[in-house]
Amino acid sequence: MTPARSTFGSQSSLREANGERLLEAIRQFGSITQVELSGATGLSPATVSTIVRQLIAAGRVETRNTIRNGRRAQLVTLAHRSGLLVGLQIGARSLRVAISDTSFEFLDQRELPLPIDHRYDTTLDRAAVLICELTEELGSTLSEILAVGIGLPAPVDPLTQTISVPGILRGWEDVNAAQILRERLGCVTVVDNDANLGALGEMRFGAGRGLKDVVYVRASHTVGAGIVVNGSILHGALGMAGEIGHSLIDPQGPICRCGSRGCLNTKCSADALIESLRHAHAPTTLTDILSLAEAGDPGCQQVLIDAGAAIGGVIANTAVSLSPQAILVGGDLAGVGDLFIDPIREAVRRRVILAHSEDLLIQTAELGSAAELYGALALAADHANVTTSNS
Amino acid sequence: MTPSPLLKIRGLSKHFGAVQALVDVDLDLYSHEVVALVGDNAAGKSTLARVIAGVYEPDAGSIEIDGSPVKYLTAASARSHGIATVFQGLALAENLDVTANIYLGQEVRTHGLLDEDFMESRAREYLRVLNSRIPSPRTPLSDLTAGQRQCVAIARTLVGEPKIIVLDEPTSSLSVVQTAEVLNHVSRLRSLGLGVILIGHALTEMQAVADRIEVLRHGRNNGSFASADTPYQDIIAAVSGASSTRRPRA
Repeated sequence: MTPARSTFGSQSSLREANGERLLEAIRQFGSITQVELSGATGLSPATVSTIVRQLIAAGRVETRNTIRNGRRAQLVTLAHRSGLLVGLQIGARSLRVAISDTSFEFLDQRELPLPIDHRYDTTLDRAAVLICELTEELGSTLSEILAVGIGLPAPVDPLTQTISVPGILRGWEDVNAAQILRERLGCVTVVDNDANLGALGEMRFGAGRGLKDVVYVRASHTVGAGIVVNGSILHGALGMAGEIGHSLIDPQGPICRCGSRGCLNTKCSADALIESLRHAHAPTTLTDILSLAEAGDPGCQQVLIDAGAAIGGVIANTAVSLSPQAILVGGDLAGVGDLFIDPIREAVRRRVILAHSEDLLIQTAELGSAAELYGALALAADHANVTTSNS
Repeated sequence: MTPSPLLKIRGLSKHFGAVQALVDVDLDLYSHEVVALVGDNAAGKSTLARVIAGVYEPDAGSIEIDGSPVKYLTAASARSHGIATVFQGLALAENLDVTANIYLGQEVRTHGLLDEDFMESRAREYLRVLNSRIPSPRTPLSDLTAGQRQCVAIARTLVGEPKIIVLDEPTSSLSVVQTAEVLNHVSRLRSLGLGVILIGHALTEMQAVADRIEVLRHGRNNGSFASADTPYQDIIAAVSGASSTRRPRA
């Protein structure tokens, strides 16, 4: 090896690299003991101890004593002295929770699968318990939570904080999720539609940064859009702006959950996609269809292409009305990439007045499936009345 | 165009003295599928799991695995037929680490010595495939939470490359966080193409990951429901006997 000076330099950069490895492991697991850190990174316990002390001094991590199976252990978490923000995304088949500090660095996140037509009381109870357990695992208390942002897969009336239209989320009519969780957790809670939150996430942290007029499409179990006009989410009367899943695409089409005939959802919802494939083979969940499509199954690919075309048609019309700078596509279906996005691009291109703008950005959401959680955290931060730092 | 079932049980009966634990039970299990077996206490769920695992010999009925009839299923022959079971209690060794537990009784040897490196890297892979939150395959079992232990028990079954996995009450006495982890493991098993039989009481959790729900009541079939199409109350009605369903024999 080379002279003393370069050895010294390489030693400190090695320490830095090891520090990054530790931080990465902590980010991945939320909270982790020093013994586990040693096992996860392959570094010796002595090295882990030294680096953790350095990271504490640098204000990057915190430790606290914990008991693991009757024995004392040192639990390490990312530093979060400034309070916690909680994002809760309730979907058709799952609920996801993310806890972050005020710099929006995820401290922990989990996903709990849910049955079809899950009951609001059980789901909100599970969500509350999950948030309590995760907070405890981080070595914190509920009093450190500044606010909770909640996303629901239905239009939310911003005034009443309840779902604006019956039938879309069965059994959730007149349910004030924000109030229920506020009573359970004792902190500020606020609800919005999940597509609106996805748009908010992308505007603050994703591909919408620096833009003012954006349409964010969320294509998952149902289709919805978050519309950003002049930098703010457009809610409209009763909070129904962006409910493109209920745009008319076929006057002779089947009846939708909302009661109208021929909505976009009757063609592109998870139920519709699964039903159209029923005779070919039996992928029984949306996840199955997406995995099979990615693996090359032609039937599954075709339904996604057709869904893209139908959604693209509605998006193109929406874009003609709103003239956005960007169309960002998120949700589970966007996960298959160009297979789904290309038909959307094609539909927009066919509206010649839109095609004139070469600057019109059409792409997948930068934050992928985390867009809604980031939006929920941003919503929480906005209502917690703290100045937050964007790192 | 439905493929043949991995497991096909017809007319299974089992009694213990005067107790009729199972009466004329039918069950199908396909690959890439999760079937939830639900019912009240003493409905016969655990007995059925033990028959499938080869622990109990049935008094009557037929079992076909992958289309071939199987007589006299024993615990060892069940394993070689590709059936793996995780019972409550998990059967793990507290004093050993994750890797040692995964390979307990099925250790890999090279030239007569334990191949620790191979087992550790395979253990890491099984944990990764299950989306486990266990940071290191060398963590002592005693340091793991109940949910993480369930993950180790499931990983243990993967060593034998099974086709069918039976999980007996995998989420009982788990916290919500741990329940979420175990349900995610079950979804991963399904994605790997395995057929999974989940036995439990917590209907909401079972329905979250199951494709089909089979109800047992007093040892008999009392309904087979597609998870996607069936309202919660219909299943509860079948469990409690408020409704009674007779399934046509196929």
